[in-house]
Amino acid sequence: MNKTCYICKYTPVELLEAFGADCSNLNEMPVGFELADQVAHPNICGFGKALLESVMSGEVKELVLVNCCDTIKSVYDVLEDMGKLNFLYLIDMLHTGDSCSRERIVYQLKGLARAYGEYSGREFDINAFRDAFQPSEKKSEPYLSVLGARMGEELFRMVEKAMPFSVKNDTCVNNRSAGTIKPPQGVDFDGLMDWYAGELLNQTPCMRMMDNTGRKQLYNDPNLKGIIYHTVKFCDFYSFEYADLKQHAGAPILKIESDYTVQSSGQLLTRFEAFAESIAPSREVKEKKMGKGYFAGIDSGSTSTDVVILNKDKEIVTGIILPTGAGAAMGAERALSEALKSAGLDRGDIDALVTTGYGRTAIQDGDKSITEITCHARGAHYLDPDVRTVVDIGGQDSKVIRIDENGAVVNFVMNDKCAAGTGRFLEMMARTMEMELDDMSRTGLNYNEDITISSMCTVFAESEVVSLIAQNKAADDIVHGLNKAVAVKTAALAKRVGGEEKYMMTGGVSKNQGVVKTLEEKLGTSLVISDKAQLCGALGAALFAVDMVE
Amino acid sequence: MQVVDKFGSYVEKFSNTSPERARRLLRTGWKMQNLRFRFFANKELMSADRYLARLMMDTMLKPLQNPESSAIVSIFTPCEMIHESGLNPYNVEGFSCYLSASKAERVFLQQAENDGLSETLCSYHKTFIGAADKGVLPKPKCIVYTNLTCDANLLTFRRLADMFEVPSFSIDVPMQQNEDNVAYVADQLRRLGDFLTEHTGKIINEDKLKERISRSSRTLMNYRRFQQERADKYVPADLVSPLYAGMTNNLLLGTEEEETYTKMLLQDIKHAPASKGKRIYWMHTIPFWSDAVANELRLNKNAQIVGCELAQVCDMELDPQKPYESMARRMVYHALNGSVNRRIDEGIRHAKEAGADGVVWFAHWGCKHTLGAVQLAKKRFEEQGLPLLILDGDGCDRSHGGEGQTATRLGAFLEMLGGE
Repeated sequence: MNKTCYICKYTPVELLEAFGADCSNLNEMPVGFELADQVAHPNICGFGKALLESVMSGEVKELVLVNCCDTIKSVYDVLEDMGKLNFLYLIDMLHTGDSCSRERIVYQLKGLARAYGEYSGREFDINAFRDAFQPSEKKSEPYLSVLGARMGEELFRMVEKAMPFSVKNDTCVNNRSAGTIKPPQGVDFDGLMDWYAGELLNQTPCMRMMDNTGRKQLYNDPNLKGIIYHTVKFCDFYSFEYADLKQHAGAPILKIESDYTVQSSGQLLTRFEAFAESIAPSREVKEKKMGKGYFAGIDSGSTSTDVVILNKDKEIVTGIILPTGAGAAMGAERALSEALKSAGLDRGDIDALVTTGYGRTAIQDGDKSITEITCHARGAHYLDPDVRTVVDIGGQDSKVIRIDENGAVVNFVMNDKCAAGTGRFLEMMARTMEMELDDMSRTGLNYNEDITISSMCTVFAESEVVSLIAQNKAADDIVHGLNKAVAVKTAALAKRVGGEEKYMMTGGVSKNQGVVKTLEEKLGTSLVISDKAQLCGALGAALFAVDMVE
Repeated sequence: MQVVDKFGSYVEKFSNTSPERARRLLRTGWKMQNLRFRFFANKELMSADRYLARLMMDTMLKPLQNPESSAIVSIFTPCEMIHESGLNPYNVEGFSCYLSASKAERVFLQQAENDGLSETLCSYHKTFIGAADKGVLPKPKCIVYTNLTCDANLLTFRRLADMFEVPSFSIDVPMQQNEDNVAYVADQLRRLGDFLTEHTGKIINEDKLKERISRSSRTLMNYRRFQQERADKYVPADLVSPLYAGMTNNLLLGTEEEETYTKMLLQDIKHAPASKGKRIYWMHTIPFWSDAVANELRLNKNAQIVGCELAQVCDMELDPQKPYESMARRMVYHALNGSVNRRIDEGIRHAKEAGADGVVWFAHWGCKHTLGAVQLAKKRFEEQGLPLLILDGDGCDRSHGGEGQTATRLGAFLEMLGGE
């Protein structure tokens, strides 16, 4: 028998089951949108495309949709035109829960009952309807909640694995609460549908409902230890709740965005691990014995691999920066042996080694691996204990980390997949302008015309630069425009995370004087730039290595 | 152009330090522009379109001059009731367009994104929210909005009501077309009457409302007749007049001024020369700021826009004796409500009536309703013999432009239609 798939918590699942349907919440993330892209515009939300992908690949035969949003309504239109499904139905769910709309919902329920009855050739079975309602268990223990736009199964499992507490999926369809109270006895079909419409409408509202004050119960629970707030690219509903929630949530929040593919989820792992580290810092368990009293940290980044060796007094013995090269593990090995050589030490003299950065898990030699976010925070605190916000712009990402007086992470944000606002963006633009990065760093300092590069997209920005060159605009002015583009993006991240003074800037782009100057203007404050800025992550890792020893 | 650049940069600058000053500057700049429309109007345009530019500017200025007598509205809110309660429509989409035309949108878009709103949210919504957050836009008397035809309305207007701390009223429009749904919306409109009375102290006079509905009906019929009569005529078109008509045919529907505009159109079209060049019907908003689009379609005898779906509000005759049901029916049966096939069917009909050679489906960044239907629209229009160009872009935010791509796509499309 085919499964009857649904996507929305307002779907009358129990009614469908009363007609013998086997209902299933369609929540799997595809690898990509190869099929969906043939029929949909790329700029609709990833879940809409996932839905098209499931139907076009033949996985889904029966689908009951709700007019959740403009994307789902469009997906329905496309699917109806395609005609590949055995059963396709769209419920016109209203946006209010008052008595008039309840009446309209009863009308919708009866319409669905009629259509599914005709399709399946079965009749409404009152006992099956009653059996479909099952009480739910409410646990009272510390937990984390995933809120916001729907999170696919694969991504949710990744969150569960990374977090130190149990995790509840309270996103979108997953916080469905209808179907837990048994229907009243001795009521006819019309009466039952009236009661059932009320049950559906009285659930914790989603963001599409006109009155959604009831959502507060999702984040006002004393057992809630943290929130992972998820949005899906091109779904705008939940960014409104996030914008509001980040001002007054009682629990720490991690904001993430996915495009609803398995592929995009992998890139979120660092953020999950860093969040887990920040909400449950590892206990002071001394795992190692003191030997020669030297400790190493390796930061394996996309461009360079950095190593710092500390002595037992937490003084820097040596710091090495080498290009990462082809593989993280080999790059790390090479950088570590260079560092040992420069310090006149052997591998055996190192009592503990902590790895961080993108390649951290590929390095077998380490005793522990910690995300670069936690390590940067610790390193920045070591370099200047007054620093409260760290701006790190590296080769492939940029991040802003807010830290407390002890150097622990309070909050952080990272750029999305797009390269705009990262070192890679500047590298590409330098290439377009046929300039070395070092020259670019100084070129924008003395500009005359205040040019704005308006395109967000790196590819479009590149064509803007080409046309500015064609207009004979001065290199200084164009580079200043590019620096401003990076600064605006970074300042926006800082604002989102609630950045406070003092600010420190780390990462390769901290060497770019033009970006530093424009960013200082945007933030309205000066940036602390240490001569060890590039070693900050490795330094933090080495400090964590010291903690491991008795 | 440089004057506008300077003006925009001052509005942006003051919005950071003194929002009141930014607002005063906007008001003064827009008043000057209105005087320019009055005394130095573009003589190439028909007299009706010159009148329309002034009418639109007046509509934008009123909320800046008298915010306490204005109601923030979404574009498809039935404004007959707003006018009847003595309020001026203070429209989100219109203000964002004008901020963008004043080259002041960037700072407001950034403000909204800094607050945590998504980059992919429609730029009309983001610009208005950013400008309101910064204190540049004044506090209205109240807010009235509908989910027709954009689901971002549900979020934007709620946020604005919280931010300004003013009462709001939402009209929920179901997506299916039937008389029960008309009755459901009509009931809400009656309650809207009570809401407006409560907050303005003015009781809606039903006879006057009936008069307004009667005028709305005449206005819409005039406009449709004009669109039909232009089929074999050349009407000089810029990029903003079709948009203005889209705004005023909604916001000023039922007013004498809007009826006058449509009467003038019918007069002007009598004297219009025979059709020349390629004729483009435009679906959704128009990126008036784009040089690439202007080069091809602005006051160009070789190719011009002959209609925009936003201006063709409703083809049904309205029954003035049942004002609430008439407004409700206009909403429930709106071309953009329900299945996108309805929108496509209306688009095909209107494009044919206006004698279009081709159609541009403008995939405005952030408009999921328009983006979701692109391939269906292409198939259906072309089945009806109307070549369709899917043009990606943004009606308001220049950063989503890609001018090079726009120029190539639009240029190639016009060449394909056999234009010069």
